[in-house]
Amino acid sequence: MQPIRREAIRLENVWLTYSGAGKPAIRNINLSIPFGVLAVIKGPNGAGKTTFIETCLGLLKPIKGKVYLLGINTKDKRIIEARRKCSYVPQDFMKPPYEHYTAKKVIEMGLSSNRIITDPLPEYFQHDLKYYAKELNIHDLLDKPIGILSGGQQQKVFIIRALIRRPKLLFLDEPFSSLDRESRIKVVELIANYVRKHGNVSAIIVSHTFNKVEEYADIIVSMNDGVITSVKFLR
Amino acid sequence: MLLIMLPLLGAALSGFICGMLGYYVQRYGVTTISFAIAHSALAGAAISFVIGLDTTLFTIFFTIMSTLIIGYLTSKAPIRRELICMGLFSLFNAVAILTLYMSSTNVLSTVQLSTILWGSVLAITLEKMITIVAISIIFLVYVVISKPQIDAILFDQKLAEAEGVNVKLHSTILLLFVGTTIALILRITGGFLVFSLLYNPVASAILLSKRANIQQIIAPILGSTAALAGLLASFTYGLPVGASIALLSSAILITSYTTRMITNYILVRRSTRG
Repeated sequence: MQPIRREAIRLENVWLTYSGAGKPAIRNINLSIPFGVLAVIKGPNGAGKTTFIETCLGLLKPIKGKVYLLGINTKDKRIIEARRKCSYVPQDFMKPPYEHYTAKKVIEMGLSSNRIITDPLPEYFQHDLKYYAKELNIHDLLDKPIGILSGGQQQKVFIIRALIRRPKLLFLDEPFSSLDRESRIKVVELIANYVRKHGNVSAIIVSHTFNKVEEYADIIVSMNDGVITSVKFLR
Repeated sequence: MLLIMLPLLGAALSGFICGMLGYYVQRYGVTTISFAIAHSALAGAAISFVIGLDTTLFTIFFTIMSTLIIGYLTSKAPIRRELICMGLFSLFNAVAILTLYMSSTNVLSTVQLSTILWGSVLAITLEKMITIVAISIIFLVYVVISKPQIDAILFDQKLAEAEGVNVKLHSTILLLFVGTTIALILRITGGFLVFSLLYNPVASAILLSKRANIQQIIAPILGSTAALAGLLASFTYGLPVGASIALLSSAILITSYTTRMITNYILVRRSTRG
């Protein structure tokens, strides 16, 4: 089965086992996510959702099966190029109080994969930064060290970092975990608008705490015990 | 004057670059890999010595090849990286000892051998000093040019990798700098004690400050201090230079630990009173 260019992600019979673990973390995963959709992955703790995302990004290599990210096999050396077109908001994002990088610097780091020190930031950076920071109400925190921000404020910084890269594919692992209800809605609206506005980009959100996100989803993937139990195409 | 200044400058510079590299080694999470690489330098030095090649050049070559092989093995092997590194550490030690054991009695009794094993101020030459300065400058240029990627790795390695920063390439570059530096200064501190300059300063810096940007400044200063103080102790009391440097850097580590414990105690006392 050849990967199709219009697919953002394709997983073919994917099995993944962590080193030293007897049981596979994910088993027999077959899934294709096209461009232009917002997909939600849901399931209880230990369902394999984070493993799924990290496998899609090629951070974890399957013991069996193939994974294509933006049409590139994650075992291929060109996977680095594919990752540069993606963004990721990790689940374990919290930084300790003594982390000295400012929130703005952390966001700027999102554009570092191709840059050397003399390269200027893209022209849109300041505009996008101002827009997202205002939308998420952290515009007055940008010059503060990230370590002194609250969990919710730090999570917003990582979400802005992901969006400001203008990715083709956006992976968000439990991006609402530290946010209040109002901020959760704002974040999901920003992500949904980003997908709708650009048309040829996709977002994959892992969430098991915020059911309202499903109202914005085009695809809902349910996982349990390392396998996909259902895939619903809503739009 | 030059006879006194050269070893002092050489020691200070070796301590500085080791402290600087040690900071990045720790933040990149490649401590065990660098440990294995450091031992490969010892094996390389022993082999070159026995077969009669230029020790410094062959050790650099052997260490660079070992770095590339270790990097490949640790990324491909299905077991934990630490286990591979510890296996290689034993292998390199065995190669070094076996090579020296199988060499002739003449070789075993030479001053050069004791230099490789225990270090010597005589190993600090002007040529070596210039090479160490050149490596320090090249490393600093690399750090400045690649600052965006290096900052991203230092902040969150996994996130940087997910965003397309070539973490493996930057780790390999760092380890090549570590390998080359160790190969160069091996004969100053000795093969068994060279790690004291790589790990003790950064460990002390972590104990003295929680802030990474402060640690980055403190670690090379502590490295230089330990190397200079060790050298002076060696001059004054006629001790082996490698052991003196290792002891002084350990003393700095113990002092840093004690300082941290006392500070924590005072802070806890203050907060419970408040």
